[in-house]
Amino acid sequence: MRILVIGAGQVGATIVAALHSDHDLTVIDLDPGRLSALSHHYDVTTVEGDGASRRSLQQAGVKDVNLLIACTSRDEVNIISSMLTKKLSPETKTIVRTTKVEYLEVWQERQLDADFLVSSELETAYAISSLIGVPAARQTDVFAGGQVQIVEFDVEDTSGTPDVIGVPLRRAQIPADSKVASIIRGGAMRIPRGGESIQAGDRIIIIGSPEAARQWSEIMARGVGRVEDVVIFGCGRIGTAVARVLLDQGIGVRMVEAVAARAREVAEEFPEARVYQATGVEPDFLERERIGAAKAAIFAMRDDAKNLYAATLARLHGVRFGIAVVHESISERVFEKSGVAIPINPRSITAEEIVRFARDPRTQQVAMLEGDRYEVLDITVRGESKLANRPFRELPMTGSLIGAVIRDGQALFPHGDDMLMPGDRAILFTESRRVGEVERAL
Amino acid sequence: MIGARLRHAVGRETRGVDIVASLNLVGILLLALSPAFLVPTGVALGYREPPVPFLAAGAITAAAGLLLARATAGTRRVGIREGFLVVSLVWLLVPASGCLPYLLSGEKALASPLDAYFESMSGFTTTGSSVLSDAAVLNDSLAFWRQFTMWLGGIGIIVLALAVLPRLRVGGRQLFETEAPGPEVEPLTVTIRQTARRFLILYAGITFAAIVALVLVGVTGLDDEMGPYDAISHSLATVATGGFSPRTQGLVEFGAATHWVVLFFMVVSGTNFALMYVALARGGLRVFGRDEEFRLYLGLLGAASIVVVADLLRTSVAGGEEAVRHALFNVTSLMTTTGFATADFNEWGSLAVAVLVGVMFLGASAGSSSGSIKVVRHVIIWKMLRRELDQTVHPELVAPLRLNGRVVEERALRGVIVFVILYLGLVALGAMAVLADPASRALEIGAFDALAAAATTLGNVGPALGAAGPFGSYAHYGDGSKAVLTALMGLGRIEIIPVVVLLSRNYWRA
Repeated sequence: MRILVIGAGQVGATIVAALHSDHDLTVIDLDPGRLSALSHHYDVTTVEGDGASRRSLQQAGVKDVNLLIACTSRDEVNIISSMLTKKLSPETKTIVRTTKVEYLEVWQERQLDADFLVSSELETAYAISSLIGVPAARQTDVFAGGQVQIVEFDVEDTSGTPDVIGVPLRRAQIPADSKVASIIRGGAMRIPRGGESIQAGDRIIIIGSPEAARQWSEIMARGVGRVEDVVIFGCGRIGTAVARVLLDQGIGVRMVEAVAARAREVAEEFPEARVYQATGVEPDFLERERIGAAKAAIFAMRDDAKNLYAATLARLHGVRFGIAVVHESISERVFEKSGVAIPINPRSITAEEIVRFARDPRTQQVAMLEGDRYEVLDITVRGESKLANRPFRELPMTGSLIGAVIRDGQALFPHGDDMLMPGDRAILFTESRRVGEVERAL
Repeated sequence: MIGARLRHAVGRETRGVDIVASLNLVGILLLALSPAFLVPTGVALGYREPPVPFLAAGAITAAAGLLLARATAGTRRVGIREGFLVVSLVWLLVPASGCLPYLLSGEKALASPLDAYFESMSGFTTTGSSVLSDAAVLNDSLAFWRQFTMWLGGIGIIVLALAVLPRLRVGGRQLFETEAPGPEVEPLTVTIRQTARRFLILYAGITFAAIVALVLVGVTGLDDEMGPYDAISHSLATVATGGFSPRTQGLVEFGAATHWVVLFFMVVSGTNFALMYVALARGGLRVFGRDEEFRLYLGLLGAASIVVVADLLRTSVAGGEEAVRHALFNVTSLMTTTGFATADFNEWGSLAVAVLVGVMFLGASAGSSSGSIKVVRHVIIWKMLRRELDQTVHPELVAPLRLNGRVVEERALRGVIVFVILYLGLVALGAMAVLADPASRALEIGAFDALAAAATTLGNVGPALGAAGPFGSYAHYGDGSKAVLTALMGLGRIEIIPVVVLLSRNYWRA
């Protein structure tokens, strides 16, 4: 596959490293230094120029490119290069890296000419939320503009109710419009049949409507001690994205911001959070507000060194679990060495997400759960597929499960008698090793 | 020409305010008021009473307005700066125009210009304080005019409250600049004209409903005292939260059915008109449940009534349905600043009286024709208090204050505090002025009575205690007291600050 990468920064470089061996890569960047560093390491073609300029795109041979990855640090450049590419070469699939959640919303409403958007903030927020180990909804992926959600839960000893846990699935009171896509038990994942049951200690994966996902959260959160208190230092875009994700799961959030005007802004935006105007490195403040009592602290200030200092100070005040958002690759190693906080690099997370997508452009969204063992795919059913025009009951259960289909923009949660039609977008859950098999079958 | 000369004459010291343009608008508003005199003229003709006082008053008002508007004609626009002057002047001059029928009619009880102006000011500000020992001495058309001034004042106040004062940012009024209670509701059109038109229909509709309800009470024999004339007069005064009655004893002359109907319409009239408009336009009652001011408004009405019922039972003043009705009615009447009474609460126990004077400081909703501090400002102050306590323990906490989920800017909060302080200060000053009046000693007006008189006039409530109680009047108050109380009525109505602003030198400077 021919892939054109716009931007040779941290994200671009990570993507090139992951894809260069299997694909034919061209990289555009304004900075000749970065380009030569890349071409020195990998076998890639480089074009010096502006990714948002038509001439540069044409020079890079955009017409013959199968996939465009626009991953500069500037949203507008990425969006424009995607739009230009769609005009110059309508067949080319495009991936756009964005930092603003707003663009993601616009894209979900199909107002933005790109095949896939990756929001660094949101991806980072999900990663952090999942690290905190929130008992409800550990990881949520959203398909079809939010109509279909994938939610993962750890089933605790105390969680759930007897009508869901420990009874065969076909008799369990499972929320309507949802399916148990997978049960992971003792490191083995299986797609459950009606006779199996959910047990304490399992990890389960649910595909369903947003309402069903919310009902599942309630079922699973019953009896589990809720995480009451997470402190976020730094209310930039990542800090607020994390706050939003945590607050949506009902977690108490305290936010610390040094700039008065920004603190006020954030306090207005998040009525459910408590916002403090403080630098985060004053011992008096940490002591007075009992920061040490927090379940977790997230350091999302702009400066890696300051995050390290604040994380160390917070550790001294008794914070046991810290997560730091880092901006330089080297900082990951610094934090790992110090041990005061787990580093999360938004750029690496973004790059990983893009690489996943690049594997198969027909797959509109790819969510990776549990490392490489299984995946959720969003695939459009071809007319010549052998499985099309058959009722779901007759579909083979080859280690995969169709959780929902999107037909004419509407999400359906199919029952045995419903038919799979050509042109349907199937949201399906499968083992990683079967991805190719599934893609061929559909 | 005259305008240019006038502008030149006053221009030097007052470069900051366009006085000429302000006077022009005042003239136009007086002109707009003049057709209102045709209504009592019609009533006079119907009752075969002399229509001349109303025709003459209307003519004088029209002529004065026209003269003022002509003399100051120009192209300059009235801005926010001029708004303070216009508001103050209008509420000074409209009652002056409104007292002309009293003076021209030769009615002895209102022969003194001060008394006539007091009565007219009380009407237009929907206060309901009266210098008439017996309102029944007025002939039918004059009595109707007295009721009608309240109704006219009421709609003026709603427009003032929802369209003018928010622009002037008076007392935190910017809170209501867009009245929509939630982001999903379209913001109400802000222009004054549209606001007036929109709420006039609602206001007239509620008035009509009240008239129909009261007429039905009379027709069905539930209350034989209630005839069409009484139904109309009392409805005009109820919807305006005014409180005038053409009867000697007011509502005491009517039965329980009338009391319950009037009680219901007092509660409705004390509700935010913008909220009612949204509920009607969108056909949902849920907006009421979501509105913090409305919830507290009903809550306070209920709580105060319970205390009064308990005290009435304890002191054996009344029992059963009577105790509940009197307590609910009089608490609602004083809290919505209407001022009707179904009993002489002068005779009630001290706790009940204290509660009744206390609710005078609450007022009803901000977007109604009621006076006083208004419930929403109490909501704001309560929230600020809680935030202060929170920030005492957590000094770094940033906590924007919200009303109905929307952030209230800090300036509006300061405006609320300034208003309440000025309000309480004026009550104290007014009470002292009344006590300083030599005539007050002869009436045996005590400190608490004087306080009640100041609170009732500044809050546009109506009755006070003692001589000026629900069945008394201000007839025997000294002229000095009357003048002070008249001033308090006007000040309370335009929420004090526009006048105070005029007193500062910086207002007039560029």
